Amino acid sequence: MKFRVERDVLADAVAWTARTLPVRPSVPVLAGMLLDAGEDDGRQRLRLSSFDYEVSAQVSVDIDVDEPGRTLVSGRLLAEIVRNLPPQAVEISTDGAKVVVSCGSAKFTLLTLPVEDYPTLPAMPELTGSVLSDAFAAAVSQVAVAAGRDDTLPMLTGVRVEIEGETVTLASTDRYRLAVRELTWTPQDPGVSAVALVPAKTLADTAKSLTSGAQVSIALSTAGSGEGMIGFEGGGRRTTTRLLDGDFPKYRALLPDSFNSVAEVQKSEFVEAVKRVSLVAERNTPLRLAFSDGRLVLEAGAGDEAQAVEVLDASLEGDDIQIAFNSTFLVDGLNAIESDIARLQFTTSTKPAIITGKPVDDGASDYRYLIMPVRLSS
Amino acid sequence: MRLVIARCSVDYVGRLTAHLPMAPRLILMKADGSVSIHADDRAFKPLNWMNPPCTVREAPDEDGGGAVWTVTHGKSGERLVLTIEEIWHDSSHELGVDPGLQKDGVEAHLQELLAEHITTLGEGYTLIRREYPTAIGPVDILCRDSDGATVAVEIKRRGEIDGVEQLTRYLELLNRDSTLRPVRGVFAAQEIRPQARVLATDRGISCVTLDYEALRGTESDVMRLF
Repeated sequence: MKFRVERDVLADAVAWTARTLPVRPSVPVLAGMLLDAGEDDGRQRLRLSSFDYEVSAQVSVDIDVDEPGRTLVSGRLLAEIVRNLPPQAVEISTDGAKVVVSCGSAKFTLLTLPVEDYPTLPAMPELTGSVLSDAFAAAVSQVAVAAGRDDTLPMLTGVRVEIEGETVTLASTDRYRLAVRELTWTPQDPGVSAVALVPAKTLADTAKSLTSGAQVSIALSTAGSGEGMIGFEGGGRRTTTRLLDGDFPKYRALLPDSFNSVAEVQKSEFVEAVKRVSLVAERNTPLRLAFSDGRLVLEAGAGDEAQAVEVLDASLEGDDIQIAFNSTFLVDGLNAIESDIARLQFTTSTKPAIITGKPVDDGASDYRYLIMPVRLSS
Repeated sequence: MRLVIARCSVDYVGRLTAHLPMAPRLILMKADGSVSIHADDRAFKPLNWMNPPCTVREAPDEDGGGAVWTVTHGKSGERLVLTIEEIWHDSSHELGVDPGLQKDGVEAHLQELLAEHITTLGEGYTLIRREYPTAIGPVDILCRDSDGATVAVEIKRRGEIDGVEQLTRYLELLNRDSTLRPVRGVFAAQEIRPQARVLATDRGISCVTLDYEALRGTESDVMRLF
């Protein structure tokens, strides 16, 4: 194997592939990154792959091949080396059981791992549809923030993906908040209907890293073809991940449809005030909000502890309300909305509130963040 | 049990050599012949020790001021030499037979709770019995999954590598029993170390994180969506 490639192209591709290298590989070859140089669709391409039996990643970049071939080297080491190479063309070649990486005056010799022991990457399931990559990344990040991190409830560590024709609904919850986002996409089959539970962290990382192409193709395995897998492809990168098992809660029933008060607050001011006031809120103590005509009073701390208070302008329709929240969860929700003005809808101080952006044309918001209040003592 | 508090220095002569300079220390000489030297900190792990079988020879110092105690290991011949300057305390007590360590309360309770709520492991699970006996000790829980296949469960508070090893040994033994075969393993703990998880997964053992509070039915008073 022998080929030449631009340093920046290689660095991007290697760094992206290295993200899915297992931290503790149970089999040594899984610490390897597979380099495959050859012809692909009549172009000279290098394919880089990594796999940990859960997540697979593969990227393909243009190169000049002198001699096609396949080899397996330590992925982390290759990533470290390539990241630190000078900005010149890189030449990679095999020399017996070694791989030589040369760039400018620097030269590295790496040991290879047995390429014949490397597992075959799972095949990409059949294409289900495609979505604009930026919109997809934004939607996923809005939802993944509410996913659980607690292993005792594995199904809450995922993002539920519901596909119904041209609408994709993403939802996640950790029992204290629930984030739901709807977006439109282009399905292969307009009558498609499918659901999947994708590990939230993997989905968030994947969506963010696939914004180099305009579109992301999504491939969801159907019951017949390779159970429990979802694949994403865009900008020469493709990745698959195993789906989570378990029943996702019936979240639609949690979303209230009538409210007693609706408040609107300037988002950035609100976020800053929440962060400031909650400085005195010890871990798990609530941030108290009091909405009344034209103003919002934020308070934290009580009794012998330090206290803080701040007043903001806010519009309120309906009843005055006093309600308390976990400040981190509140900031997560406020940061996730896309509008400059946050709209908060309340029923009572013990029922969940909904945070949305103020809709542009008074239509329904496509993103909703449901947050459970914290009980107010006294 | 003989307790001695003395100013002493200790030299270990054997596979390696170690020296403890002159200082006040606690010396424990136990009924099984073991000798250990403790400092005034930490609840376990002596500064130096000699496991049984060993013999102790007490002799006066060359200049007669103190004493030299030589502890010699019966098999390896390794020696622990205690040079004693001054003895502050020396007493012996008969402790009798120890009733042994009670199993960690939380771990035993987790086992009890998981047996009661065996469907925590999955829909359709049924309990065979707790403390299922094998030749190398009891398996915490033996149960059947929804397909009727046997599942052995090892319960730990903190899931570490040695717990996985323990379960692996049980599984090997249980899988020789044709009435139970094939037996699958589940490693259940309140918290599972990443290394233990990798080893378990590699051996086909599934990992389950247990929520003690939820199993006990103690709900925190924090309000939740569901």
